[in-house]
Amino acid sequence: MALTVLRGGHIVDPATGQDAIGDVWFEDGRIVERPEGRSADHEIDVSGHIVMAGAIDIHSHIAGGNVNTARLLLPELHRAIRARLADTPLSTAKWSSYETGRLYAQMGFTTVVEPAMAPHHALQTHLEFNDVPIIDKGALTVLGNDDFLLGMLRDGEKDGAINDYVAQTVENTRSLGLKCINPGGVEAFKENMRAFGLDDVVPFYGLTSRQIFQALQKSTQAVGIAHPLHLHMNNLGLAGNIDTALATIDAAQGLPLHLAHVQFYAYGKEGKNGFSSAGALFAEKVNANPNVSVDVGQVMFSDTVTISSDVLKQFNSLPGAIPKKGAIFDGDANGGGIVPYAYKISNYYNAIQWAAGLELFLLIDNPEQVFFTTDHPNGGPFTTYPELFALLMSADLRAQHLARLPADVLEHTTLPSISREYTLYEIAQMSRSGAAKLFGFVDRGRLSPGAVADIAVYKPGRDVAGMFRRAALVFKDGALVVRDGQVSHYTRGKTLHIRPRYDQQITNRLDSYYDDLYGLPRSIFDVPDAALPHKDAFAEVPCRI
Amino acid sequence: METATLDGKAIALGDAYKHAAKILSGAAFPLVAGLGADVAGARAAILLAERLKGAFDHLASRETLADIDVKRSFGMFTTTANEARLRGDCVVLIGPGLTRAWPGMLERLALAEPPRRGAQAQQPRKVIWVGPEGDEANAVPGAKVIPASVQELSGVLAAWRARFGGRPVALGAEKVALIDGLVETLRNARFGVFVWSASTLDPLAIEMMQALVIELNATTRFTGVHIGGRSGASGVTQAAGWMTGFPPRTGFGRGYPEHDPWRFESSRLVDSGEADAALWISAFDGEKPSWSRADIPLITLAPAHTSPSRGLFIKVGQPGVTHDAVLMSQETGGMTLRKASAPTDAPSVAQAIGAIMAEVSEGAWR
Ligand SMILES: [Zn+2]
Repeated sequence: MALTVLRGGHIVDPATGQDAIGDVWFEDGRIVERPEGRSADHEIDVSGHIVMAGAIDIHSHIAGGNVNTARLLLPELHRAIRARLADTPLSTAKWSSYETGRLYAQMGFTTVVEPAMAPHHALQTHLEFNDVPIIDKGALTVLGNDDFLLGMLRDGEKDGAINDYVAQTVENTRSLGLKCINPGGVEAFKENMRAFGLDDVVPFYGLTSRQIFQALQKSTQAVGIAHPLHLHMNNLGLAGNIDTALATIDAAQGLPLHLAHVQFYAYGKEGKNGFSSAGALFAEKVNANPNVSVDVGQVMFSDTVTISSDVLKQFNSLPGAIPKKGAIFDGDANGGGIVPYAYKISNYYNAIQWAAGLELFLLIDNPEQVFFTTDHPNGGPFTTYPELFALLMSADLRAQHLARLPADVLEHTTLPSISREYTLYEIAQMSRSGAAKLFGFVDRGRLSPGAVADIAVYKPGRDVAGMFRRAALVFKDGALVVRDGQVSHYTRGKTLHIRPRYDQQITNRLDSYYDDLYGLPRSIFDVPDAALPHKDAFAEVPCRI
Repeated sequence: METATLDGKAIALGDAYKHAAKILSGAAFPLVAGLGADVAGARAAILLAERLKGAFDHLASRETLADIDVKRSFGMFTTTANEARLRGDCVVLIGPGLTRAWPGMLERLALAEPPRRGAQAQQPRKVIWVGPEGDEANAVPGAKVIPASVQELSGVLAAWRARFGGRPVALGAEKVALIDGLVETLRNARFGVFVWSASTLDPLAIEMMQALVIELNATTRFTGVHIGGRSGASGVTQAAGWMTGFPPRTGFGRGYPEHDPWRFESSRLVDSGEADAALWISAFDGEKPSWSRADIPLITLAPAHTSPSRGLFIKVGQPGVTHDAVLMSQETGGMTLRKASAPTDAPSVAQAIGAIMAEVSEGAWR
């Protein structure tokens, strides 16, 4: 591939500390030093533009059986209206895997992590990834409600065996790490429990949520997975659940822990509705605990659908579904619940949620500790990120929104008093350098020589959201894929995965476990290369150890 | 056996692909139907239909859509066969022909064995079969059989629902007592499971059953295992879902997918003349199209023994038999790679369509 230089742009690259006018050189899909004695084959003038690494979305439900159930459940949510351009099949098929790749690329995103892959449904997630063009993908494997793990913990097995199981499962499902969703709570729901807190006990296993997530947290570290355990806590969405969140952070024992979509846990019980924002309290706790990272799960006012492997919570949400329907899947281990919902600015609760999310963003000091998700599509679709960035960057814009909220909301959030405005540098910390660190990516989320040439070029203007929605240029692996906010053709991104080490003994043990319990070979759940339509679908990311 | 024929006469495979491309790209609104294929085949077929601005349908869409209709108008509770096997203490089989729709059902659900999880572990499983066919219920020792015709099933479930809700039903005292006893069994289940196949149920019966499931879940746990349609229907539906957002019976006439179960039903499209060419795919068993018109330009992709005397025929292999294939597995409820049991070099549906696609330039249809 030709030597290319992007000339004279404003480079915003927190990984290298750059925030100044400069050039970016790349060749053969990688960023390079300016080569001595050679001139560029392509020189592109990007003066007056912002140049950043391609963005990384650390938590977005873009693939897998639960997402697909949502597509089939809600045809009314995604009617297409526009024919596609040439060379981009299905790119305007709303909510299709193809459209997902196109829309992310157009915003300058080049890597997206699907955070909830069930081990027994991994192949479908990978097949869907295969049909998401342009961007690189990765997944987190869900454990924590599976009998094999709970059985080992109940029986007091040595850490070694648990570590081996974790590492083998991550390798076998071809993911980037572990997610734990309402640990033990989903199993408890199968035993007809309707609520499950941090110290409730899973029937027949005698384990608490606390014990389960702590074990997985330790194993994640022990086997060298770079991404900390990604935890979906208990009591999602309930008034007063800030107590659960604070107790969970205390239970982390100083070890790395990522808390998912924390806006949904930032609720107090104040006011006449018994529902208030505890965003400020939560943010203070995060600031005091550098071992913890969070993504927000910001609510953006829109018609959407909640997709979660927290089956207990989703079952409890059914009565509030808009429109009135939903799917509840008691899977092997976690499963899933799909419940449509509409967030309205005039709704007191939704407005508190919106405010709580923004408080978290604005009151957590370190932009590499807080990530910008909407928990797509749970708090709103990922296509609202540009509006979210604009809100973070403008106190005026927030004030305009605040004026439209139900008046009593303002008494139960600190948002009106917050004047902080994110800089572009901080946006890039959150969406590039910090996100890369969170997954141990050493060659993305940055523009230094050797890094993947995933580059987003934006044209600044008064319309900040518009700037982020339609990147002026996007390069993926050095190839131009977006010009003037429009995808011109597809490239094929990779699926990123890790291969932590483990003792092969565990494989034999798992084989006999599956044979005894299900009378099935465990290999029926495998993700073999031959199952995917294209060779070289995967790219391995090194482990921490 | 020839690998390709035109009106029954052998033609070279390369010519067959060219001819197929010519027929399809010359049509104003071509139909990709049957779609009896593995996931790779479905994927190729849907991309072809999209490129041609035609429509796609699956031969078992009636069944698939019966389930999906309930889901999208009402909602659905489901579980895996394995969870039913491990936990189901009360398994209610609904309708005839379940063992035909899923030959491995009895073994997979281990109905003759006790469940293994929860307080119900090692307690005998209660099995109820409403409206079995002939003596098929004999295969489950101890199953309580409730005779009912297919037409009666939704009425039976409605009566259960009424009695569960404490509402009167217009039946004799003896029948009501029987239903009340049964409803009590459901109510006392710890993890109850309905098992059904939409191939024999109407959507009303499925909706009744799922409505009852929701009501049962107010106090206990109840869910369902549905048996997928024939010829790879479940896997094809999943692929169609992520690729287009919609299940089969979706058209691309406007350059984007539109789903309409009536408009894009394949027999209607052919018999009304709206579709002016058809690609019929039936790689599992060579099932024939159900439309009645014989004058539509037709390309058939099917196994060797089913070669039609009319139109263009291209022999393809059988998924999971002659070539490795990703299929939705009824026993796990997930996708899996089935290794070929008797490999041959016959092209897969994906390969055959890939060869046709290579002859259909973007310029031809744009
Ligand atoms: Zn999530």
